[in-house]
Amino acid sequence: MTRKYWKGLEELKETPEFIKHKEQEFPNQQTVEEFLSDEKLAETSTARRDFLKFLGFSVAAATLAACEAPVTKVVPYVIKPENVTPGMPTWYTSTYYDGNSYASILVKTREARPIFVKGNKDFGFTKGGVNAQIVASVLGLYDSERLSSPTAGGTNASWSSIDKAISSAIQSAKSVTLLTNTIISPSVKRAIAEMSVSLNGENGSKFQHIQYDAVSYAGMREANLANFGARVIPSYDFSKAKTIVSVDADFLNTWLLATEFTGQYAATRNPDAAWMSKHIQFETVLSVTGSNADYRGMIKPSEQAAVLAYIIKGLGGNAGISAELNAAAKAIADEAIKALKKSKNESLVVSGSNNIGVQQLTNKLNDLLKAYGTTIDLANPVNLFQSEDAKVSKLVKDVVAGAGPDVLLMMDVNPAYTLPNGDAFAKGLKKIKTSVAISSYADETASLCSYVCPGFHALESWGDFEAKASEYALAQPTIRPLGEATASALESLLVWNGKAVRGGKDSSVAYDYIQATFAAKFPMADFAMAIHNSVMPQVLAPSTLVYADAKIATLPKSAEWEVSFYQKAGIGTGAHANNPWLQELPDPITKVTWDNYITMNPVEMTAKGFVTTYDQEHGLNLTTVKVNGKSVTLPVYPLPGQAPKTIGIALGYGRGANGEKIGKAAFQTKEYGGYELNEAGNRKPIGANVYAMVSNGATFEYAAAVTVGASEGVYPIAATQIHHTVMGRYSIVRETTLDIYQNNDRSAFNPPHTLQKLDEHGNHVEAPVSEFDLWDAHPIEKVGHRWGMSIDLSSCIGCGTCLIACQSENNVPVVGKDEVRRGREMHWLRIDRYFASDEEAAVGTRKDKETFSFDKAELAAENPKVLHMPMMCHHCNHAPCETVCPVAATTHSNEGLNQMAYNRCIGTRYCANNCPYKVRRFNWFNYPSYKKVTEVNPAQDDLGRMVLNPDVTVRTRGVMEKCSLCVQRIQSTKLVAKKEAREIVDGEFATACSDSCPTNAITVGDWNDLKSVIRTKSEATRAYQALEEVGVKPNVWYQVKVRNEKNDLLSKLQVEAHHGGNNKHH
Amino acid sequence: MQKEAAIREPLILGHKTYHDITEDVCRPIEDKAPKMWYTLFGIALIIGLYGVGCILYLLGTGIGVWGLNKTIGWAWDITNFVWWVGIGHAGTLISAVLLLFRQKWRMAINRSAEAMTIFAVFMAGLFPLIHMGRLWVGYWVLPLPNQFGSLWVNFNSPLLWDVFAISTYLSVSLVFWYIGLIPDFATIRDRAKKPLSKKMYSILSFGWSGRAKHWNRFELVSLVLAGLATPLVFSVHSIVSFDFATSVIPGWHTTIFPPYFVAGAVFSGFAMVQTLLLVMRKAMGLEAYIHTKHVEYMNIVIMVTGSIVGTAYITELFISWYSGVEYESYAFINRATGPYWWAYFSMMTCNVVSPQLMWIPKLRRSLMFTFFISIVVNIGMWFERYVIIVTSIHRDYIPAAWSMHFPSHIDIGVYIGTIGLFFVFFLLFARFFPVLALNEVKTILKGSGQSYKESPDYHKHH
Repeated sequence: MTRKYWKGLEELKETPEFIKHKEQEFPNQQTVEEFLSDEKLAETSTARRDFLKFLGFSVAAATLAACEAPVTKVVPYVIKPENVTPGMPTWYTSTYYDGNSYASILVKTREARPIFVKGNKDFGFTKGGVNAQIVASVLGLYDSERLSSPTAGGTNASWSSIDKAISSAIQSAKSVTLLTNTIISPSVKRAIAEMSVSLNGENGSKFQHIQYDAVSYAGMREANLANFGARVIPSYDFSKAKTIVSVDADFLNTWLLATEFTGQYAATRNPDAAWMSKHIQFETVLSVTGSNADYRGMIKPSEQAAVLAYIIKGLGGNAGISAELNAAAKAIADEAIKALKKSKNESLVVSGSNNIGVQQLTNKLNDLLKAYGTTIDLANPVNLFQSEDAKVSKLVKDVVAGAGPDVLLMMDVNPAYTLPNGDAFAKGLKKIKTSVAISSYADETASLCSYVCPGFHALESWGDFEAKASEYALAQPTIRPLGEATASALESLLVWNGKAVRGGKDSSVAYDYIQATFAAKFPMADFAMAIHNSVMPQVLAPSTLVYADAKIATLPKSAEWEVSFYQKAGIGTGAHANNPWLQELPDPITKVTWDNYITMNPVEMTAKGFVTTYDQEHGLNLTTVKVNGKSVTLPVYPLPGQAPKTIGIALGYGRGANGEKIGKAAFQTKEYGGYELNEAGNRKPIGANVYAMVSNGATFEYAAAVTVGASEGVYPIAATQIHHTVMGRYSIVRETTLDIYQNNDRSAFNPPHTLQKLDEHGNHVEAPVSEFDLWDAHPIEKVGHRWGMSIDLSSCIGCGTCLIACQSENNVPVVGKDEVRRGREMHWLRIDRYFASDEEAAVGTRKDKETFSFDKAELAAENPKVLHMPMMCHHCNHAPCETVCPVAATTHSNEGLNQMAYNRCIGTRYCANNCPYKVRRFNWFNYPSYKKVTEVNPAQDDLGRMVLNPDVTVRTRGVMEKCSLCVQRIQSTKLVAKKEAREIVDGEFATACSDSCPTNAITVGDWNDLKSVIRTKSEATRAYQALEEVGVKPNVWYQVKVRNEKNDLLSKLQVEAHHGGNNKHH
Repeated sequence: MQKEAAIREPLILGHKTYHDITEDVCRPIEDKAPKMWYTLFGIALIIGLYGVGCILYLLGTGIGVWGLNKTIGWAWDITNFVWWVGIGHAGTLISAVLLLFRQKWRMAINRSAEAMTIFAVFMAGLFPLIHMGRLWVGYWVLPLPNQFGSLWVNFNSPLLWDVFAISTYLSVSLVFWYIGLIPDFATIRDRAKKPLSKKMYSILSFGWSGRAKHWNRFELVSLVLAGLATPLVFSVHSIVSFDFATSVIPGWHTTIFPPYFVAGAVFSGFAMVQTLLLVMRKAMGLEAYIHTKHVEYMNIVIMVTGSIVGTAYITELFISWYSGVEYESYAFINRATGPYWWAYFSMMTCNVVSPQLMWIPKLRRSLMFTFFISIVVNIGMWFERYVIIVTSIHRDYIPAAWSMHFPSHIDIGVYIGTIGLFFVFFLLFARFFPVLALNEVKTILKGSGQSYKESPDYHKHH
């Protein structure tokens, strides 16, 4: 039987019309001649003159219509490259390492340019964990101030001349020093080893390699050398720790391998799992990690040793040093002892100090807790942060004294900026015969060198990594190098050592070399497959290291006032200071952008006469602080939770102080555009560099004695949040304790909001808010998709990675400091950070509804509980924004999305006013062209524009915008599923924020899919909707924050008095 | 002719004849303008042009030149809009409502009050236009057939209702005002000597010949328009109040708003009429027509509407507590004690306390005092709108988004500029238009017999 094909549905159904025309091969078509010769034509109403009129009108109308937008020509591919389908993204696996953060990543490219970076959840020990800096790194690729060609004496030169000069300088020199950041690349290590062999021979001392990190972890390595006999940093496994004690280690933000730790930590913070960890933090500056702790003690940096000693004593050990502590910290330390006793060998203690003695005490405590072998793995050492502080100090001393090496090669380091005596080093550097910097920028150090050899951006180059002994990782280029004449750093080393010949822009030298390294390491493995996965597991030998007590090294001295230097989530060590996304990333705790500042407890600020509130027109007081004779003047920020008699200052600011070309966005800009200039006519840096204040003893130490001056005037502050408490508003944030959560039903820890109504007998009864509705529901339930989101406040650590991912995905403009100060940041997703006040038993829960004072509730407690609440468009089913738009520019989709038609928007801003969540963002100016943001908005830079996501419109001025729930991703997910003729699988669709969240706090999905995670979460006992009683019916759910703490007052409020619900606290 | 009790105070003082009235009204139009007029006009024009400059800068650069932010999407723009619309209420109320109530005293003031209304509505209408992010597509608020498919305006939006309300109000007021002007234009035309002005006024007077038929139709049209305009007096400000009342923002979402806004509008409108007329009567020698009695009547209106407004404020406060709604009560606590307490305090003092002084007859008959209070009331009413708009949204639901509003110099420039433009229009009106409805005023002149009665001749014979 032959197959039967139908021409169409008409044939299948045999419609009468089809049968009628069946025999006719061509439908009844008139020819033009026939048509024109029709005599009836003359009688038709459209006469020639009318026709001309219509024609004229149409031409005029079309011309007028064409006036609306300028014509932009698109040039198509002449020869289409393979694997590039216009409109379709291509993903590449890769690895990120910048000397400070490390992660296995996935890079999204569109039309062969990388536009988005996210964590790789499938491969690599970081398991998808990334931080804001990694996600933002894609923007650094398109920085137009990145060097594109090598320079000699500040002017562009050819590689051939430079290579010749450097090679001969190396050969003829008496001493050559290579100063790099920590090298974790087996190939670069091999190249350096080869260089050492060819210059030093068997045991010469002409060549030496020193590793130097901007922020040193040498204290840990030295302590381990003392206690274990090896200069190692072991692997930590937070996921196994039932009790986590952190002494000033910001392990969820910047400490060591935070990208790995956040995921591990989050796994232990699920109140629905078999157990939930207890996290106790002792710290000076309120950090991201401290803000998530169950208990938090405020200590001076010099008290770290005492805390550890106190706990050691409490556990029956003897630290051999004084364990005197302040009363408040003692109470927290007692909690720690209690918890540690309970979870003995499932505990972990970490310390962020770089003091050898403090780290030795930490080791002792971990040994006492039997953490080695359980939560700490000595067999799998971490290769990051191999800074050798003593060697670095010696080198710097020599350079400063004019006794430096003949040739100083520097690779990915910036000592002139990051050294405590950077200025002296910079002067000494000029005396060095031949100084070479492998650097992407003519930065503080490179600009002083004889030769600057620009390397590739991480996304342009091949690379291999061994961050931990257990894993070998690869990075592959995702774009052809953008610079005219940049070259792989590895290739440069090989060329100067005479092992390779320059390969030009499309050189394969580095690739071949890395492949050779790989082949030697894994003789049986397939390189292509390794690139596909980006990682290769390596077999570990069991550790032979055994803990032994050692003499405790010198401990930090106490002082009346102490300062702690810390890293911020966005700026870190300062390497990314030119990244406008990161500069504009509100600090997770202070919510300040574009500046560093002195943090001080508001209680002490009041005593010292500093102002403790700020807004658009009221800045904070400047003051001068002195450390070791060096002084810096910065504004004083009121940070609750800052330990008494201490201050904190972030590192990484004050980049480009001498006008070095380190990137357009790294400098202060004026109110109407252009740069602020200093007396020397250089661009003014943002904030101040405090590396100069770092103590330089046996190791670099990030704390010191300080004197704080008096107020010296006012400095404007650009913060995205100027009110810091939630004013006891229980319908916005809900918090409970693990104990209450496990032993009570929902009505205790998450009562639904009820209103009073009359029943059929005319009696007042309480009814849930959902029963009250003025509107007809949108027909979205049980029909098609209904997209929803759930955010677990227990998991969210407030790191800000999602915010940067959203900015990257959705082309969110950068607006600069002055506009942020005016409350006009454009972030579609923000993270509201609430401090508990003394009026609240937990964030949002009033202690006493009768005596609740609004005035007192505005002030954060001295050491407050903190809660992070991601906030974006709630895609309300009864959206108040939709009803008020006069032109229906914002409407509801049949998939439950509140969608914004930019083209239709006339900009009345009524929608933004009427949004209870205040998530709508207005284009106050034309950010892609307005002069005020030229320096900061990447969309105004020819190169920077390449980072824009082509799937998302760049908005013009005068229109409203907001979170679209990544509708472009929804559409592409649907398209993929449709092409494969299947339904969307739960988990297939992810928004940029949920995709990048290192703790998986954000879940998105189809609420109409009954088995979906989002559906389950929305029905969980912890699920609530913010501002439920407003009746807007959002598609976003929050999960109640659960703290693993003992809170008697909260128990009393939630358990004993929950009858009648919580809606009584008016 | 008007029949009035002998004991009732006459509405026109002195022994004016019909001719006197014509002379008094037409003289300023026919004479050269005094120096003072040029000075005032010059100042108003400069301020107005500065405002226009600010508006052009705004349109060229973006709404960001104002002091708004992510939390506060409306501030001075909509405050000014509501303030001007409110001022624009008195005219129609005087001409329409008082006409229906046969309040003859209105005749002395209705012409200027209506002119003021129209100019105030012009100024008001400016703000919704320039506050748009994209003015050039602003015509999308009109339900026009279009080529965007089935794209239509959103009839749920109070902003759309505003478009209809304001445009209707403006057109009806304009027509009403113009109809009243026709016979007066004809009078001026008949007296005009210069050919150009004769021509102009004859065009403006639509061929009015003063026939009984014309008067008959005039009366009829006035009545019909008064009937049409009366509901508008209430609808316009009710609808403006819906901009706030239909929202979900505590402090805006208030059912009391329509009557409260209408009362407030009349309150501020009368104050503005006082401000203008007290100066005008002096400058143009109209003391005989607009005198203490008129001022007193208007002061009584101010006192009554001020009391309504005050009651509304207190009611709002009470309800915010009584409702038991957390956010509602905080919104009002914040108004009174938060960072904008001074605005609330100004509003309360100017709008609630000051009109109560009008209970004292001596004060409400004092022209200087009235002038002072009229300014105070207008300041108070501006603050009322600022308090409602800004203090409600600056701290609404989510404390993390709370913000403060600081006006930029463009905010101030545009506002001051509209005051300048308003006076430009008003001064032009005073110069070229009959500021008194002269033909109507003639109807309330007591009969010539009355003059005779009071004349020495009459006394001689008795």
